[in-house]
Amino acid sequence: MANKIIRQKIVSKNFEIPNSHKIDVALQNGRYSTLDKAFSKDPQELIEMVKQSGLRGKGGGGAATGNKWQFVTNKDGTKYVVVNADESEPGTFKDRQIMEFDPHLLIEGIITTCYALGSHVSYIYIRGEYEEITEVLQGAIDEAYERNYLGDNAKYKVDITVHRGAGAYICGEKSALLESLEGNRGNPRLKPHSKTEPEWYFDQPTLVNNVETIATIPFIVENGAEGYRKFGTEKAPGTLLFAISGQINNPGVYEEQFGVNMLEFLETIGGGVKNGKKLKAVIPGGASTPIIPAHQIKDVTLDYECLWGFNSELGTGGMIVLDEDVCMVKTLKNLMRFYNHESCGQCTPCREGTSWSEKILDRFMNKTATLKDLETLKSVSTIMNGKTVCVFAPAASGVIDGILRHFESEFLECIK
Amino acid sequence: MSFIFNEQNNKKIEELTKRYPKKKAMILPILWLAQKQEGYVSNEAIKEISKIVEMPYMHIYSVATFYTMYRLEKSDKPIIEVCRTLSCELNGSEEIKKYLDNKYSDKYKIIEVECMGACSGAPMCTLEGKYIENLTTTKIDEVLNGK
Amino acid sequence: MKIIIDDQPIQCKEGDLLIDVMLNNQINIPHFCYHKDLGIDGNCRMCMVEIKGAKRPQIACDTFVKEDLEVSTVSKKITEVKRSILELELLNHPVDCPICDQAGECKLQDYYMDYGLYDSRQTTEKTKKGKNIDLGSNVVLDQERCVLCTRCVRFTAQITKTGELGILGRGDRARIAVAPDFPLNNPYAMNVVELCPVGALTSKDFRFKQRVWFLDSTKSICHGCSRGCNIDIDYNETKYGSEKVHRFRSRRNKTINKSFLCDYGRLSYKELNDVCDKKSSSIQELQQAFINNDKKIALASASLSWEQLDSIKSFCQKNDIELFSLPYIDDSFGDDWLKTNDMSANFNSVKKLEISYDEKRFQDVLKDSDLILNFDHKYFKNENKSDKTLVQFTTTSCSENYDLIFPIANFAHDTGHVINCDGIKQKFFSTKFRGEQITLTQLLEELR
Repeated sequence: MANKIIRQKIVSKNFEIPNSHKIDVALQNGRYSTLDKAFSKDPQELIEMVKQSGLRGKGGGGAATGNKWQFVTNKDGTKYVVVNADESEPGTFKDRQIMEFDPHLLIEGIITTCYALGSHVSYIYIRGEYEEITEVLQGAIDEAYERNYLGDNAKYKVDITVHRGAGAYICGEKSALLESLEGNRGNPRLKPHSKTEPEWYFDQPTLVNNVETIATIPFIVENGAEGYRKFGTEKAPGTLLFAISGQINNPGVYEEQFGVNMLEFLETIGGGVKNGKKLKAVIPGGASTPIIPAHQIKDVTLDYECLWGFNSELGTGGMIVLDEDVCMVKTLKNLMRFYNHESCGQCTPCREGTSWSEKILDRFMNKTATLKDLETLKSVSTIMNGKTVCVFAPAASGVIDGILRHFESEFLECIK
Repeated sequence: MSFIFNEQNNKKIEELTKRYPKKKAMILPILWLAQKQEGYVSNEAIKEISKIVEMPYMHIYSVATFYTMYRLEKSDKPIIEVCRTLSCELNGSEEIKKYLDNKYSDKYKIIEVECMGACSGAPMCTLEGKYIENLTTTKIDEVLNGK
Repeated sequence: MKIIIDDQPIQCKEGDLLIDVMLNNQINIPHFCYHKDLGIDGNCRMCMVEIKGAKRPQIACDTFVKEDLEVSTVSKKITEVKRSILELELLNHPVDCPICDQAGECKLQDYYMDYGLYDSRQTTEKTKKGKNIDLGSNVVLDQERCVLCTRCVRFTAQITKTGELGILGRGDRARIAVAPDFPLNNPYAMNVVELCPVGALTSKDFRFKQRVWFLDSTKSICHGCSRGCNIDIDYNETKYGSEKVHRFRSRRNKTINKSFLCDYGRLSYKELNDVCDKKSSSIQELQQAFINNDKKIALASASLSWEQLDSIKSFCQKNDIELFSLPYIDDSFGDDWLKTNDMSANFNSVKKLEISYDEKRFQDVLKDSDLILNFDHKYFKNENKSDKTLVQFTTTSCSENYDLIFPIANFAHDTGHVINCDGIKQKFFSTKFRGEQITLTQLLEELR
């Protein structure tokens, strides 16, 4: 039973208000109002609240946020809170909405998170391309300093530094982000052996959370874990800023509770496929998630568990809609070109695998491919899965497998 | 012809030093300051940065080549970046690129980039870093000729 | 504790890395990026093994041993993984074997013979990069052959801390390079040639000179300074009979030099080919010189072996000749790692054998002497004879300015011991062919 579409707004409440990024307008509309309540609680109480709320990371991974906080607080050292605003997943453009239209919500969330973890230093790692948005964000931070919400004279001292990336999708991967924040090339780190390790920034325990995840914290402080659980599903409570793009009538970002039916969402909120065409497939959560063909979409609900059941992922909830005229070979080539361009090049299967995949797809594009090429493509996908340092190559592997699983016939047509 | 940061940038660097636990963490922000000051990241700028953060030259150079937004060569023309990833391609980015190449490549440097996070405004491009969305050939003419 | 590798129980300790345990037990584990002295990087993925209970294959270089760990390196699944990773490493690798110096000691060749032996299914173009790039310090780079294991980058970053090497670009366009205006320039630069598992970094000095499968090896000690770094001498017999030393390679010694040599020491092999080609003087001539000259002095090189110094000491005592040995001190040579200011190889033996190294007394005795016996010391090799009678016992060529000459074997053609600057006594071994020159100990036997 899918959830109803209720257009519940948790983080996007202020988006439509003119000048919502300015502190006076923000203050009039509830910003910073939850800080006193947060400071009245014990930090561990706040962590328990986040755990009970079932809040899951909104950067694509969906890991339990409360647990992540606990791992950091369990270690000794100078704690850092890093906000992942690298948002480079194709089809994803939701975090920018928060930073552009309600940056004070993000700042409020950061202050609360820092208090809960005993941290006084926070970095916002924002993708370099968002230059104009960075100016808005920095402006809001400067205002917060002026009004003593941040800095030495605040009730709880927090310093926020905006750190601009410079054009690398892989720096959205949390360990690569920290490498980049340390002044290195954005190479992801080897994964720790223990499952309860936090991240490390210059060997100090560090939290890395997505923008939207942090922006949700004030709501949870205000309304409690139960308040958050009122929406969404048992395993995926709350809301997500879903995005729709591609061949859809109303592309954009729309906040909604988890668990609604995907087809209903695309038709009512998305306005249906552009130009009256028929739906062919949807990529559910940004380009790293395996594709879902049209005939399955009516059974998909927008939450993590359901999409796993369809051999796919919810990811960032950025849906890309493809209509009946889209060529799947071209689509896969476009995605593998992206993967090849963005691979950091550190480990062998990803570096060589993404490059080889793109070259093989070129042969499909100019119709010089053979059946052997198709076999090779499948085996390259296998070697990229589960044998690399990070999840970039497994995602590429999932994309290839997904498209070949449902649309292999289009590839066979390209074989001479 | 060596490179030095101007006074404003020097102040910014001083401020940054207080905000990071180690100097090396400032490499990306300082590369941005150098690019803003000169229009690109020159070898001389890298030498200066290497001195400021106390890291070998090659480390800075290697980091600068990893990230695609740092320009290591001066461009005499303003830069237009056209997004080529899926949502934009589905909405006609290839035609936009061809149009730009045919009509504006003598006045502008036109390069392709990956997803810029503006998928609801597809197809899109940037002009000197500013986003221009919902492109049509008409809109391109308006924006570029209106400049 | 005990772990099981391929059904064999293996003993190991808490905190050991699985890959070290395998390498120490001579178990075949292919790898590129791991190096005992550079640590873990985990990027080549070649050392993957199957571990019972783990969902995915794990890299052995990042796995610590646990009690009753069960590892397989030969199962069908892991063999397929190894073959696939190797295929990807070779995908953009140029087929340069016929012109590549690394052939015969190349890990890609070795692993292909062990885990590959497949027909290529590549139907696409290989990625092109730079070739034959002079990095400086005798190192030549071929970017296409590189597997991006980053051993060389880690060496210049962590060990010499000079940071000349780095990676430019990303993805499959990533390539190793030095920055313009900053060539490879440190006293240990040529170690990267040895560290490189493939033919990407090669030595300009060795380039195109010799195929490695024609080389024999002997264990030896570098005589460039008193550190006593362990080396392997690579040599063979050239076409018309006389032996040639082609290069030194480092031999791993955990305490002294790990896996590294300084460039000066590494290139000091050339001295071994500079043999003295003069005809030896006769024993009678030497005896006559002893009779003709009353006041005699002997100077022995502090780089001679313990055995050689010992026999010189006996000889001099028997013939009542005052013996000295002076080290070669160069204060600009030593550094805080391998190189020492004392550029002689065995000065600690001189001290232990109680041979005098009093320089002032040496000069005084020299003034009054008529006959100088120079046992291979640089001081008298090309000068300083003045009007005295000079008898050269030399391993290398020297000036024509001598009265009697006895060419002797250098350390490649002799076996013996040297004591390094930290008091560690080490043995070096002669090559198979032993050369044409007589060893000094044998000669002094005959002269008795």
